[in-house]
Amino acid sequence: MPRPVAIIGVGLTRCSSWRRDVLYPELVYEATSAALQDAGVTPKDVEAVVYGSMDPFDGVNAPEKWNVDACAAAGMLGKPYMKISTGGTTGGSTALAAYYHVASGLYDVVLAVASQRVGESLEAQLVLNTAVDPVYERGFGVGAITIGAIQACSHMHLYGTTEEDLALVSVRNHENAVNNPYAHLRLKFGVQDALASAMLSWPLRLSDCCPSSDGACALIFVSAERARALAERPAWVRGAGQITDNYFAGDRPWYEDWDSLSMLARRVYRMAKIDDPMRQLDVAELYNAFTIQEILEYEALGFCEKGKGAELVRQGVTAMDGQLPVCPSGGVLSNNPIGATGLIRVAEAALQVMGKADQRQVPDVKTALAHAWGATIGFHTLMILDREAP
Amino acid sequence: MTSRVCIVGVGQTHHRGPGDNLAYYEYAFQAARSALDDAGLRSGDIDTVLASGWDVLDGRTISDMHIVPAAGGYLKDSAKVADDGILAFAYGYMRIASGAFETALVVGHGHAESPTELVSHVAMDPFFYRPLGVGATATLALQCCDYGARYGVSEEQAAAVVVKNRSQGANNPYAHLRSPVTRDQVLASEVIAWPLRELDCRPQSVGAVAVILASEDRVKRIASRWATVEGIGWAAESYYIGASELSRLAGLSSAAQRAYGMAGITKPFDQLDVAEVHDLTSYHELMAYEALGWAEEGTSSRLVEEGATGMEGSLPVNPSGGALSTDLGGGTGLARVAEAALQVVGKADGHQVEARTALAHGASALTGSVAQSHGVVILRRGE
Repeated sequence: MPRPVAIIGVGLTRCSSWRRDVLYPELVYEATSAALQDAGVTPKDVEAVVYGSMDPFDGVNAPEKWNVDACAAAGMLGKPYMKISTGGTTGGSTALAAYYHVASGLYDVVLAVASQRVGESLEAQLVLNTAVDPVYERGFGVGAITIGAIQACSHMHLYGTTEEDLALVSVRNHENAVNNPYAHLRLKFGVQDALASAMLSWPLRLSDCCPSSDGACALIFVSAERARALAERPAWVRGAGQITDNYFAGDRPWYEDWDSLSMLARRVYRMAKIDDPMRQLDVAELYNAFTIQEILEYEALGFCEKGKGAELVRQGVTAMDGQLPVCPSGGVLSNNPIGATGLIRVAEAALQVMGKADQRQVPDVKTALAHAWGATIGFHTLMILDREAP
Repeated sequence: MTSRVCIVGVGQTHHRGPGDNLAYYEYAFQAARSALDDAGLRSGDIDTVLASGWDVLDGRTISDMHIVPAAGGYLKDSAKVADDGILAFAYGYMRIASGAFETALVVGHGHAESPTELVSHVAMDPFFYRPLGVGATATLALQCCDYGARYGVSEEQAAAVVVKNRSQGANNPYAHLRSPVTRDQVLASEVIAWPLRELDCRPQSVGAVAVILASEDRVKRIASRWATVEGIGWAAESYYIGASELSRLAGLSSAAQRAYGMAGITKPFDQLDVAEVHDLTSYHELMAYEALGWAEEGTSSRLVEEGATGMEGSLPVNPSGGALSTDLGGGTGLARVAEAALQVVGKADGHQVEARTALAHGASALTGSVAQSHGVVILRRGE
């Protein structure tokens, strides 16, 4: 079994549609320096760096090379430095890579950092369209939003989920984001306002979709020995994994369920000894780029039976004062610096476990789950964090 | 805690120039298929798959969504290291060393769909370096100029590296360029970016390479011949060209020190039997000798002239022909690891040397400023 690994520091940046006030290295430094300070370690203590970004969304290819010096100034030079890119799961995959840096026994203190400047993209959906096969699928205009819309159509058709349910997911997430100073959108609006927003890809309206953001996030992963020496309340990694589905979106016969996520959840829950997620999890940070996906994720993650996700929304089970609050941060619906978004989910889950989530803190969190999806909904990452060491 | 990691299978395509109709992930499939055959394994025996390379070079956002399933990663735990494949190898190493996985397949690929100079040009920051119009070749040429001027290394001495590697590559059935060249041919080839001529630079090759890793517990049930990973290190240096001494590959020195330390290597030139070095250009092979601690600064060309790094020498370098014979873009460093493994297990058909301990070096050729990041792996014949 891998040796225990914990998170002891979190650094988040302010996010907006275009952080014109800072150069790219400055944006990254904002996150890395905050994480080091939060963990109480110096650049010298950091033994290796893992960097995540999705290059096609940035105005600079492979920005990690430009940003080597910004990973906490010159203290990072000449150190192991690894770049991860896996689509929307990039941040989740970056956390996993940092985890394996420590779990392997090679390193005791590892900086995970992820960034994106989607403000430099001409149009994110155009970039996403280049992900799909140029011969068979690209001509249909497939991007992230169109696939989200197919999921919504299928779920509404087969399980009776309504446009009002989607609107309610949006309202809740944005309400939560008001408490999060690091969220890009901090808006308060009602279900009727959401339903009145522009239709983008039926049945997904503007209010059902994530923004495109500039931002960065950094985390400090450490070995058990260092965690006990450096932190009073570390967030221990209890389960972690990734899954890769097939690549032709058209090869997947159903969209109302998210089977690859169910499969990954079974693996990761086994690692974390979770058999009743609704009872054992205290908070979940889900990758809800589109409202419908939060509902599919409830079902795939075993929070409820298939087809019953919308009921959890209606009953308020996943609201801030519910049994299992989902996305106290406001989720991806409020903030989406693509390559960093998955790492922000892990960061927010870690903050909850460490009791450092300020205004958005859920009381008495012991166990938290962080999720991300990527590619044409074919990738997922999961990480389960806990107050107790494994 | 760290469990030992071994290489149990290597697969390559017959690398070539542009011209057929296969997609890049179809080459990844072919390489993975032949690595599985080499190891006597089936796709279901592989626990985790690691891809490598750059989306912008592949012309695909999230190119791993195509590569990973093609390499046998369907429904498995995978990731892509968006850099040279030697770093994906490092990630595969860590995944197995952690005890979480028993087998891993690492794949790297090259193709001819993208203009490498443009891709490396847009990897430059928009304020300081991009307005200069530089890309990978121009910045590498800056290093070569500095190295040549500082130590009086002539074009003829650099050309000797090309002659050596191309003649060795002619014996490698998988190499892209399999024709030897003469010094005069190198010196007569067109100047690309002074002092680099066409033959001092890498070709753009199409193909893929795959390496299968296994834990020590698992290895004896899989293979009769294998290579153990004795040391591994990787490092990145500053982006800013003005902040570094151009003629020294500082990132490679840092990576090598880590790998040597792990493997207990104190006199690398004596202790290594063979090396596969990422010859980004002919001059870079010379600079690499020094960063790897085999020669005093500025004296590497003597090793080439004496034949010490030729096939009959005490430390043959790039028996495969190196990157000057085959450049798989983001797969080139992984190809160095694959070739080093073939040498220590005795499967390097046509270009075999007597070797128990081998070094493989990979660099990040197409992103970053001047050969900014490097990886080094030390392999030993498994027993």
